[in-house]
Amino acid sequence: MKNARDMLVLYGLGLAVTLGGLVLVRAARPDGTPWELLLAGLVLLGFPLIHVVLNSFGFRGDGFALPVVMGLSGLGLMEIFRLQPTGMVRQAGWILLGLGVMLLTYRLACDPDRLGRYRYLWAAGATVLLGSALLFGTERGGARQWIDLGAVSFQPSEAVKVLLVLFLAAYLCEHQPVLIPHLPHDVELRALAPLGAVLGLSLLMLVIQRDLGGALLYFVIVLVMVYLGTGRADYVAAGAVSFLVGGGICYALFPHVRVRLDAWLDPWRDLPGVGYQTAQALFALGSGGIVGTGLGLGHPDLVPAAHTDLILAAIGEELGYVGVLCVVVLYVLLIGWGFCVALRAQAPFSRLVAAGASTVLGVQVVLILGGSLRFVPLTGITLPFVSYGGSSIVSNFVLLGLLLGVSHREEADRGVDRGRAHP
Amino acid sequence: MESPTGRRRTAGWIVAARIHRVARGLVGLIALQALVAAYWQVWRGPHLAQDPRNPRLLLAEERVHRGAILDRYRAPLAQTQFTAGRPVRVYPAGPLFAHLVGYRNLRLGKTGLEAALDPVLLGVKRRTPWEVFQETLARRLRRGLDVVLTVDPEVQRAAYRALGGRAGAVVVLDSRDGAVLAMVSAPAFDPNAVERTWEALRKDAGSPLLNRATHGRYPPGSTFKVVTMAAALSRRIATPKTTFFCPGFVAVRGQRITDGEGRAHGPVTLEDALVVSCNVAFVQLGLRTGGQTLREFAAAFGIGTQLPFELPTDPGHLPTPAEVAGDGVAQMAFGQGSLLVTPFQMAVVAATIARGGVLPKPYVVAEVQTPEGRVAERHRPDAGERILAAEVAEILRDTMVEVTSRGTGRAAAIPGVAVAGKTGTATTPGGAPHAWFIGFAPAHTPRVAVAVLVEHGGSGGQTAAPIAREVLVRALQRIP
Repeated sequence: MKNARDMLVLYGLGLAVTLGGLVLVRAARPDGTPWELLLAGLVLLGFPLIHVVLNSFGFRGDGFALPVVMGLSGLGLMEIFRLQPTGMVRQAGWILLGLGVMLLTYRLACDPDRLGRYRYLWAAGATVLLGSALLFGTERGGARQWIDLGAVSFQPSEAVKVLLVLFLAAYLCEHQPVLIPHLPHDVELRALAPLGAVLGLSLLMLVIQRDLGGALLYFVIVLVMVYLGTGRADYVAAGAVSFLVGGGICYALFPHVRVRLDAWLDPWRDLPGVGYQTAQALFALGSGGIVGTGLGLGHPDLVPAAHTDLILAAIGEELGYVGVLCVVVLYVLLIGWGFCVALRAQAPFSRLVAAGASTVLGVQVVLILGGSLRFVPLTGITLPFVSYGGSSIVSNFVLLGLLLGVSHREEADRGVDRGRAHP
Repeated sequence: MESPTGRRRTAGWIVAARIHRVARGLVGLIALQALVAAYWQVWRGPHLAQDPRNPRLLLAEERVHRGAILDRYRAPLAQTQFTAGRPVRVYPAGPLFAHLVGYRNLRLGKTGLEAALDPVLLGVKRRTPWEVFQETLARRLRRGLDVVLTVDPEVQRAAYRALGGRAGAVVVLDSRDGAVLAMVSAPAFDPNAVERTWEALRKDAGSPLLNRATHGRYPPGSTFKVVTMAAALSRRIATPKTTFFCPGFVAVRGQRITDGEGRAHGPVTLEDALVVSCNVAFVQLGLRTGGQTLREFAAAFGIGTQLPFELPTDPGHLPTPAEVAGDGVAQMAFGQGSLLVTPFQMAVVAATIARGGVLPKPYVVAEVQTPEGRVAERHRPDAGERILAAEVAEILRDTMVEVTSRGTGRAAAIPGVAVAGKTGTATTPGGAPHAWFIGFAPAHTPRVAVAVLVEHGGSGGQTAAPIAREVLVRALQRIP
């Protein structure tokens, strides 16, 4: 552990704030049982517990992200408890599952070679998942992106974003000599084909699944990772132009794309219709003001999807600008930490995985924070670690596990190198 | 290549600078959201919270014990009472404050201050989260904020009585700070019975629902001569002693403009022209002053613009430059033509002269207080903007005093108190002229300014001046 006492302070602070918040919610809305409070507390205690477990595995990386994510999860639990007490229990379960999956991913990511070796398995998995969603997917909230497995249903697109990072990192590493400039063009083009395919797929998702957020997310991941791997601005520019052209065509052809954009450009014009969600989010945020109405004392339930995509509006109404600022700061810390892990990594694959995972988290944050605040069009993306939703919680914990694994591996290698250099 | 992941090669080719760039961009975009959130929550927050389309307002209303509207002595003009557990909005003063206070009815909506002060009365504004939290814990019905007005019910009653059932309006301002002491519009209605009598009120040809004080548009007639004279004196186009010749009529654009009774005043100084309200002299003065200058001064007095006030007000109509080009200004010079004003605007004109040329910022809300009596907001005095030189205002005041001592406004004179005033008899197509009076008292240490309008009341000096007198007497007694 980096510094046991600092970590203790961070966890203590996070626990005190989130538990206090949960108690306030219960004071203001005395429905549900006290057991739910206890459960939330136990789940949050899982974070320091996992940290201890990691250390017992000989974790040498930087665990700073864990208390940060605990803070985000705690904020989410608070607001979900307030909006849907029963949903909070399920969310707590998802977080526990996420922590477990994170531990597993961490173990896998400690051996990056193996992760890289299965690159075509990741690609195949992503294709199958997306394909099945296209073929058998059921529609919810306007987007056909759910696979129903009887008792549970999940969003394949959430798993795909992780697989995409792994595949792209491995692919770029493998084809690095081809993708770097000064080589014949035919080779270059062939090597680019899979990347083009991913871009095409994301546009397809836009059209068939109506999952604008997912499409935008994949698109940005591909461009950023290609840029990181090749440093070629022309690839990025070509990709951006093709996506913009494709998006423009979609805007002209498909009403659901047009609706999203119109709602963004002017939510007030058709307030009861197209602009409803965006306008309600802004009303909630504005009614919160600087310090908010207080937990449990606002009306965030007026905002559609307040516990999932638009949870920022709920936080902004009840905790005010201060609460939103806290969310922003926590994300700045988390994403900043992720890129630090990438920068410290020496192996190309690890570096790309870490940078890619941080990008996925960061782009999601920008898209949904910006979407809630009418900075960009609102799309169906969850606020990582905060929004209600099993698929997104688990997949984001997988990304966190990857980052922790990379961090550990690099610090461990460094220690070995240092040991060799100074015997 | 031993390993596709290049484990043993260094990551040099994934240049750190690229990661830096991407990291900076993403983290920067996230941090930028803090500014975006500040825009919506801090800068636009109050507007969004009080936007009529914000469903929170309706929800809040169901669970709020609506605040009371009180007069300057804190007696209720509107309050919520509970009969059989159901909240009922009661207006103890009945029709007296019907237009100013307005009504709040679930079916008919809200008007007047009930509408304009809605967020305050509902307590959406200015409650600390702590107070809200306490109320929620105690399961109390949330209390809205109470509003204390500047109005004096006795002055209001005097004005209402003086109108004596005639259609018209009276606006009384404290000329020192612009506080509204009374605002009467007649005919009125009983806001307690508005739902029951709605159909009749809506169809009534006398338009009892219209607030004539703020939304009645009338030609100002001769009361506007004060503005014309102010413009001419300010631009040094004339002095009080400048002499005009009045043959009893003047022809402009082939139209014969006569004086009230068609009487020739002969040679008349500007001063005397105001005192006897000589149209012919003012037409000549207006032609010399010019339409553009006259428009400028009228606009400076707030004619043609919505005066800033707690209630929405009608801007009236300021003649367009085309309408007053050349000798088109002749009609405007004595307050006719396309010029239209509200009684509220004319009260502001009177108060401006009373204040030595400084335009007042009229207001009616003195304080906002919590149910516990803590002052949440207090009216901030605003000196207002000087639009006339003090010397010009002084000349106007002295001349207006003569109007009530030896001129058309003698019926407004009060023994022992110098009253400055100006009458107006505004001709209007279809019916008797509107009777006007504007003025203030005591002339040399003014406390109260007044504007009286009686629709189709005939001569201003005969109909409006006595009303102004009664109102001024009462107001001077009440307001020390």
